[in-house]
Amino acid sequence: MNASLSSDAGTAAVLWTTLRVAVTAAVIVAPIGTAIGWLLARRSFLGKSAVETFVALPLVLPPTAIGYLLLTLLARDGWLGERTLGFDLDLLFTWKGAVLASVVVSLPLVARTARAAFEDVDPRLESMARTIGMSRPRTFIAVTLPLARRGLLAAATLGFGRALGEFGATVIVAGNIPGRTQTLSLAIFSEIQLGDTSAALRLVAITILVAFVLMWWTERLLRRDPRARTAT
Amino acid sequence: MNEAGPARLEIRMHLPLAHFGLDVDVASSARTLGIFGPSGAGKTSLVEALAGWRTPSSGRIRVGEALLYDSTTGVSLPIERRGVGYVPQDALLWPHWNVERNVRAGTSRSSADDELVARTARVLEIAHLFDRACTRLSGGERQRVALARALVSRPRILLLDEPLGALDVPLRRRILPYLIRVRDEFGLPTVFVSHDATEIQALCDEVVVLDAGHVRMQGAPDRVLRSMRAGERAFENVLAGVVTAHGDGTSRVQLDAGGDVWIPTVGSEVGERVLFALGSDEILVALDPPTRISARNVLAARIDAVEHDEDGSARIDVRILDAAEGDGARVSASLTRGSVEELALRPGGRVVLVFKANSCRVLTADGARAP
Repeated sequence: MNASLSSDAGTAAVLWTTLRVAVTAAVIVAPIGTAIGWLLARRSFLGKSAVETFVALPLVLPPTAIGYLLLTLLARDGWLGERTLGFDLDLLFTWKGAVLASVVVSLPLVARTARAAFEDVDPRLESMARTIGMSRPRTFIAVTLPLARRGLLAAATLGFGRALGEFGATVIVAGNIPGRTQTLSLAIFSEIQLGDTSAALRLVAITILVAFVLMWWTERLLRRDPRARTAT
Repeated sequence: MNEAGPARLEIRMHLPLAHFGLDVDVASSARTLGIFGPSGAGKTSLVEALAGWRTPSSGRIRVGEALLYDSTTGVSLPIERRGVGYVPQDALLWPHWNVERNVRAGTSRSSADDELVARTARVLEIAHLFDRACTRLSGGERQRVALARALVSRPRILLLDEPLGALDVPLRRRILPYLIRVRDEFGLPTVFVSHDATEIQALCDEVVVLDAGHVRMQGAPDRVLRSMRAGERAFENVLAGVVTAHGDGTSRVQLDAGGDVWIPTVGSEVGERVLFALGSDEILVALDPPTRISARNVLAARIDAVEHDEDGSARIDVRILDAAEGDGARVSASLTRGSVEELALRPGGRVVLVFKANSCRVLTADGARAP
C-alpha cells in the first residue's frame, strides 16, 4: 500500500475513488437535502421539530457511531440486510457503501443550508406568482428555485466537500481497501499509520488544495446578492 | 378582461391579527372602492385576505358571481384561481427577470395576450423599459410595471394596496394619473387602499374607513372624509374640470360640478381635463366680495352646512354658485368657531370664497381631451 501510494498511479486511484464517492454522494444528497430544506422552510406539519432534530443528528453524532449504525442496518440480519429484504444490497465494503456513509453524514449540512436558502426567498414573491395564475409547481420552478439557486448550489458544494473529507462512518461501512474504497482521508490515515510522512503530506496538500477551492467557491455563492432573493 | 361594469363586492369576515381581530362587513357596487385608515388599521390584511394570502377564520368573500371564500360551505379558492390583480406597496417584482418577463408572467403566447400587453404598456408608458432589469427601475417605474403585470393577468378585480405609499409626494402625484387612466381605460372593479384622503377622493366612488380592524364609516369619499376631516390634517377638496382658458401662468377651469376656478398652469392645454386639490384651510370666507385683491379666485357660494368641532374649530360646506347662480361644486372651508359666530354663518346663507390660484395643487393634467 505504501509503495503504491508513493506512485502516481496509486495517488490517482485514491483520487479517483475519492471523487467517485464524493460526486455520487453529492448528486444523491443534493435533491434529498433540498427537499428536506424546502419542507422545513416552507411547510408546517405535525412532528416538524422531531424531523428537524433527526435530520440534524448526524451533525453531532460521532461519525463512527453513524458508521456502526449503518453497519448494523446493512448486516445480513439487519433491517436492510439480505435476510430481511430477500436480496443483498451489496453496499458493505464497497465504494457504494462509502457513498451511503457520506450521504448520511453530509445530509444535515445540505438540508440546513438549503433550508436557509429557501428561507431567504421572500414568500410574498411566491404568493405573487400564484396570484397571477401560476400553479404551486410552476411557482417553485419559475420563482423559488431560481431565487434560491445560489444557496442551493452552496448546499450541494458543502455536501460534496463533506463527502470528500468523510472518514469515521466510511471506514466502518466501506473499510479501507486500496483501489476500491480507499479515499483521500483514509489514505492519509494509512500513510500516518505506516510512518510514510512524505506520502501523507502529499495527500494532505492535495486535500488542502481541493478544500480551499471548494470553500472559496461556497463563500462566493453564499455571499449575499441583494438582487438575487429580495423583492424589488 | 372584464369590462361589463362594476362587480358587487361582498366582504364579510373575521381575521385574527396580532393585536386585534379584523372584523369587516362591507358590500359595495362601487367601481373603485377606497379603503382608508391609519397605519396598522388592518388595510393590508384585508386586501391579502381578498387575494387569498391570508385565510379568515370565518366569513364570506364574493366578487360579482365568483365566490372566493365561504366558511359555511368550506369554499376557499386557491390563490391562483381567485382572479385578482394585486399591486402591493413594495411592487414585489421578481428580481431575476427583466421587466417584460415580469409583465408577461401571467400571460400566454396568444395574439390576444400580446395585444393586451401592448395596450397596457402603452397606457402605463412602460414599453421602453421592457429590456431593463427590475433592479434598475425607479420607484414609480416599479409600480407601473407591477400594475401592468396585474392588468395583463386578466383579473376580475384589481387590488391596489397603497401603490403610491413608498413614493415621495412629487412622484405620487406623477403616478396618480396612471391609476386614473387605468381606472378609466380598463373599467375593472378596484379596491384602492390608501391613508391619503386626497388620493381616495381622486380615485374612488366609495370609501370604507377602517380603524383597528373595524369599519367605522362607509360612503361617498367627499362626505365621509369631510366628516372625519381626513385624520389630523386639513381636509383637501378634490375637484375635477376642463381647462377653458389660459392666463398669465394660470388656467381657468370649468368645474364638472359647476363653477369656474383659476389654477396654476401645469402643461394643460385648453380642452384637457384636470384634477386638483384645494385645502380647506386655504380658503378665506367673506360676506362681501373684496376689491383690489391679488387672489384670482373670488367666488360666490351658498352655505349647505356648518359643523363645529370639540377643539374649537369649525367647517362650513358650501356650494359654489355658477354664473347663472345655479348650484356648482361642493367644497369645504375650515375656520374658527369665533369666525363662524362673528360672521353669523348659517346654512342657506351667502358667502364669498377667496383663494389664490396657487393654493390649488394640480393632481393630474391628463392628456385625455374632454368629451
